[in-house]
Amino acid sequence: MPEKPLPENDPVVSKSLAPHYVISMVILMATLFWALWDEDFGQRPWKTFQHEWKDRYSTFLKTARSQSRDSQKEIEGNADYQKLKQDYESASQNAAPRIKEINEKLRDLSAKILAVQNVFTDRRAYVNALTYSIETETSASSKQGKQKDLEQYKKEKTTVEFPDGKKQDFDYEHLEETYNDLKNERTQLSAELGELIKPVNERKEKLDAFVSEHMVSLTPTQMAGLQDKTEAWTPKILQINVPEANIVDRCESCHMGIREPVMLTAASMSFKGKKPDEYARAFTSHPEPDLLKIHDPDKFGCSPCHQGNGRATTSVEKAHGTYEHWLWPLFARGNMEAGCQTCHAADMVLVSNDVGWTLSDGKDLFRQRGCVGCHRYEGYDKEPEDLLSVAQQVKQLEQEKKDNFKQADDLMKQADKAESNEEANRLNERAIALKVTNSKLELRIGQLDRSTKSLLQDMKKVGPNLKDIRLKLNKNWIPVWLKKPSDFRATTKMPNFRLNDEQIKAISAYVWQSALADPLPKHKPGNAAHGKELFETRGCLACHSIGEGEELQGGTFAANLTRVGEKDNYDYLVRWVHNARERTRPYCPYEKRDIGPEDYKKKGLPYVFDLGHSRCPNDGHELQVQNMTVMPSLRLSPQDAEDVASYLVTLKKQEPSAYADASFMDDPNLKAEGKKWVRHFGCAGCHEISGLEDEGRIGTELTIEGSKPIERLDFALLTEIAQRGGSEPITDPDDQARLPEGPAKHPWYDQKGFFEHKLAEPNIWDKGKDKPETEKLRMPNLHLTKEQLRALTTFLLGSQENPLPASYQYRPLDYRRDIQEGWWVVKKYNCMGCHQLIPGQRTSLMSMTRYQGPDGQEQLPPKLLTEGARVDPDWLLRFLRNPSLNDKDTNRNGVRTYLQVHMPTFSFSENELGKLVRFFQALARQPFPYIPEEVPVLTAKETEMARSLFSSTAAPCLKCHATGDPAHDRTATAPNFLQARGRLKPDWMERWIIDPQAISPGTSMPSGLFKRENDHWVFSGPTPPSFQGYDKDQTKLLVDYILQLTAEEQRRVGAATGHARAAAGSSSSGAKPAGNAGHGMPE
Amino acid sequence: MDWKQLWEILSAADNVPIVAMIPLLAFYMYLAWKQAHANDLLIAELDGNAALAKTHHRKAWPFKPGWAKEVHVWPFLLRVEFLAAIIVTIILMVWSITLNAPLEEPANPNLTMNPAKAPWYFLGLQEMLVYFDPWIAGVVMPTLIIVGLMVIPYIDTNPLGVGYYTWKQRKFAIGTFLFGFIILWVSMIFIGTFIRGPGWQWFWPGQTWDHNRLIYEVNRDLPDLFGITSNWGKGIFGALVVGGFFAIGGMLVHAFFRRNNPKDYKRMSLLQYSIMMTFLLTMFGLPIKMLLRLLFHIKYVWITPWFNV
Repeated sequence: MPEKPLPENDPVVSKSLAPHYVISMVILMATLFWALWDEDFGQRPWKTFQHEWKDRYSTFLKTARSQSRDSQKEIEGNADYQKLKQDYESASQNAAPRIKEINEKLRDLSAKILAVQNVFTDRRAYVNALTYSIETETSASSKQGKQKDLEQYKKEKTTVEFPDGKKQDFDYEHLEETYNDLKNERTQLSAELGELIKPVNERKEKLDAFVSEHMVSLTPTQMAGLQDKTEAWTPKILQINVPEANIVDRCESCHMGIREPVMLTAASMSFKGKKPDEYARAFTSHPEPDLLKIHDPDKFGCSPCHQGNGRATTSVEKAHGTYEHWLWPLFARGNMEAGCQTCHAADMVLVSNDVGWTLSDGKDLFRQRGCVGCHRYEGYDKEPEDLLSVAQQVKQLEQEKKDNFKQADDLMKQADKAESNEEANRLNERAIALKVTNSKLELRIGQLDRSTKSLLQDMKKVGPNLKDIRLKLNKNWIPVWLKKPSDFRATTKMPNFRLNDEQIKAISAYVWQSALADPLPKHKPGNAAHGKELFETRGCLACHSIGEGEELQGGTFAANLTRVGEKDNYDYLVRWVHNARERTRPYCPYEKRDIGPEDYKKKGLPYVFDLGHSRCPNDGHELQVQNMTVMPSLRLSPQDAEDVASYLVTLKKQEPSAYADASFMDDPNLKAEGKKWVRHFGCAGCHEISGLEDEGRIGTELTIEGSKPIERLDFALLTEIAQRGGSEPITDPDDQARLPEGPAKHPWYDQKGFFEHKLAEPNIWDKGKDKPETEKLRMPNLHLTKEQLRALTTFLLGSQENPLPASYQYRPLDYRRDIQEGWWVVKKYNCMGCHQLIPGQRTSLMSMTRYQGPDGQEQLPPKLLTEGARVDPDWLLRFLRNPSLNDKDTNRNGVRTYLQVHMPTFSFSENELGKLVRFFQALARQPFPYIPEEVPVLTAKETEMARSLFSSTAAPCLKCHATGDPAHDRTATAPNFLQARGRLKPDWMERWIIDPQAISPGTSMPSGLFKRENDHWVFSGPTPPSFQGYDKDQTKLLVDYILQLTAEEQRRVGAATGHARAAAGSSSSGAKPAGNAGHGMPE
Repeated sequence: MDWKQLWEILSAADNVPIVAMIPLLAFYMYLAWKQAHANDLLIAELDGNAALAKTHHRKAWPFKPGWAKEVHVWPFLLRVEFLAAIIVTIILMVWSITLNAPLEEPANPNLTMNPAKAPWYFLGLQEMLVYFDPWIAGVVMPTLIIVGLMVIPYIDTNPLGVGYYTWKQRKFAIGTFLFGFIILWVSMIFIGTFIRGPGWQWFWPGQTWDHNRLIYEVNRDLPDLFGITSNWGKGIFGALVVGGFFAIGGMLVHAFFRRNNPKDYKRMSLLQYSIMMTFLLTMFGLPIKMLLRLLFHIKYVWITPWFNV
């Protein structure tokens, strides 16, 4: 400092700060502009999106418009179009001169009216004001004075100057009259004009409708409209606001193409020759417009389905909610359908076009893989809970009944002592009323008893009954199985519990020692070759599979039987195949023990228990008389059952004797230890185990698992790893392969990451932890595939506590509720393994080699797409109860006797039968209850006419339809007409006869048998002469005839057409020959 | 060393002020010390040169005859202040454009965040809650701090060192301020921001904030160490210890103050002196209590049914 020369003047006083000010002011201004820019664009990135949108969409529309113009030209070349156009032009030419005339008149009139109106309204205003003041005047004299003024005023004349220069004087009345006349005249003329234009407009509309109907996309005019709209667009926030549901979604501020009426793809929204960028992807239209039709965005918004932060507009991350401080990030692409679950939790099947399959898979898996055994989930497996609540109700009602009786007794006693007769009568009446109440209560109890029976029948377990394992299993196989079930059977439902050897020993000892040791009837060996054929043709493979890996055939619903011979006893298999529901001993839920012959003997009752004999001999309560399996009875004869079982025991890779000895299982010391572990791992969730029938679920409830805050999901020592990403903690290659997105590359500290890792390796959170055996994570490894894991994750992500109002939840009360409930039953018994219920759905059988080609396809079970419209619900009920429709000969199909696959007997409870019948009715939108249509009795003449149609050589019905004649039925591929009565609905039959392809695509029932003539359906073939002058629907006649057909009549007609059949092929009638084999479709 | 963790804390939008404060504090300390040092030299020079003292202007700059001894606030001070205001405005604008308010998710009353931290300027108070019960840390102490700041002008009897930086003339005042501001206030905010992790556990900078971390730490009350179990005993014992601290500490401070600030001591009334002593000793009490807790795991010294110290 001292070196520097001191300035002359004091720098504090003299130094200029101007440069400092200039610089800071410049920076300040720059900052100000920056702030303004930030306000306008930086904080509003959607504006950039909207500018891009304008550019790209206009460009797109320009190209699309020229294409659309081309296709419009093509349509305009069409003769129909030309005709319509001519119509339009001639009509408009005809009307043109008169229209012109009227328009001119109207113009004149309007000018005149205007001239009068100017004067008239002014005067009327004065008159009205004066009238008001007269009305409100209190003094009579001034009232009179004013009245005079008014009359005076009305008489005064004013001049109106008409447009043609003419002037005329009017007093008030005359003016009003003139004004009204002019207006009337105008109205009349306008009406006439409307009448004149109407036919012209109608033709114009027809013309336009023709074009838009024949255009694949929009017409050029519509496109031009869109283009104008787009080009005139000024950037603004687009918002869906639904106050009652608290939805504020501004998603469309960037995603501007979502609801456009043209299909926009990322490619069509990119600039030519460039890859789709961020903008192009944002501008695509909604890929499933059908879903938007059901869920109107103006009511549902976007975020209720997709999640994300609908209000945010400042950045993509914030709007999608993919930052740490938003609890509900956008569902990932693979888990998109989780959004459906948030409202549709009560639906078991939820499919619309391509959407919903993953979620529906997830729902299936959750049930089939036995997740419900450990985890409670609202709606799943509710029978045990319902049973409990019914039992409580019964108890309560019984107490009430007892109290009532006591009170009634008291009242009667009081009545005896009553002082007056009236008093006594009153008390007696009260006692009687109580007794009546009691009889009502008894009826209610009876009702509840029946629902107990239903519930016991409906209650199923995912795994087999372990009380039977002494009878069923190869003892030495058990420990091997427990070690790792998926090693023995790769596709098994039984998950891997990571048991150590001690646990395996103890568990197998417990289940073995607690199992029943009743004797089993011995069976002679059957014919394995015949058994194989039965197994492959009866429909076993709709649920079960056989073969491993690539060779796997059949359904995945039930066990793969490739190695069943290594583990199962022959005698038990015979019983199982014959009727899987047959129990060794009934179980009494009241006494909580299995009831044996000794209990029956004590009461002197025969040891018989089945659905008809389901009361406990000791206490009269309902027994569990069935195995809790969904496996139905295929109504095999005992001999056939032996054959199938003989075949099954040949299925093995090694001899049963090759398993290492496991005699430790008889060690009674292991039993207590074993029970502890069986309980610990919740085995009773899926299996029926002696002594553990009432065990609760051991897992956490998952109904709203998806809305658990991330902090409640314990990532344990992996929290940091999950938050930072980059390294995958799952090291086991099998488990790693289950992760749908592969090993983690990005941070996965979210619900999705948790569920995926947990499902891929359930004990992953034990990694690095030092825990005693009893505290380790118990959830077993479900050995899922990638797709299954994704489906389950989707399901769990969507399992949320929904913040939307109740009206948004899909819980209908009308027929749709029957559909909802029905799907649960349909899925429970795997009906879709054999039947197609959703258009496009593949059944297990369809993909098997046996059922390929036309011959194979005709052996497929029927499609049930319109079952409810087709059959009488009463008949359906009967059929579902006993599909053989026969009490004696049950080894047959009731309807389609020609099918090798048999509809099994599921022993549905009353509850489930009701649900199924209502389901099919509701699915086809049939009114319920069903009131059958009256079938008119045909006159002799009508019968004759109908018979001639029925036996027409052009359409020989009896050629394909079975008749009951064994020789004929061998080749028949359609059901017997005699079954139609009481089964089919007449209106459906009529529609079926007219166009079977529309109801069941691919059926071999010929279409085009009837044609429309003079508003009636008439036979397409040569009409028999008796039809001269018949002016009703011939289809109706035929249906009525079929419904009145008797076996005798059918035989007669069959015999008569027997020789005509040969000629049918060469018939040149309009009807197609019905010679092709039926495809196993309805009729 | 977990650099990622450290960076996350340093770069959090909430922590910008405290992170900026550390270098700024160092810089202004340096600047103040430099000026104070120059002034102290000047004061020494002027003390020895009475003539110069009469004409020398306000700065520790070389003397030049003709320069005004004092200048007016307007325009000479205000024009600099206005420039400063502009620069601060620029900084605030840039800051608010580039960093939006760090808003978090909708609050969930069933789930509190961990660690749940107050805004940075309250972290010192929050840290105090570790060492005292809420009544003391949340009500008594903040009140004392405010009242203490309010009484400073009334107990400050030193007429020197007003309007310029100096150390020699105001050693006691500056020393007390630095102790209170840097040791107690800034360092506690620092601890709250950088050291306290999940579960309000002590994590050294660069240590991973592991939510699963478990530590064994048992805190005892001082009376327990002496085997005092009765409530009366605890109350009396605590009162004695705290009273002892004030008595012994008071004597030490008294001796120190009389020796080093005899002039101030003489100028102060008994009321002024005792108020100063009370606040000073209470202020010293805070770090002593912190050390007792952090090093010796002593929870409370004085336990009564109404408050704990």
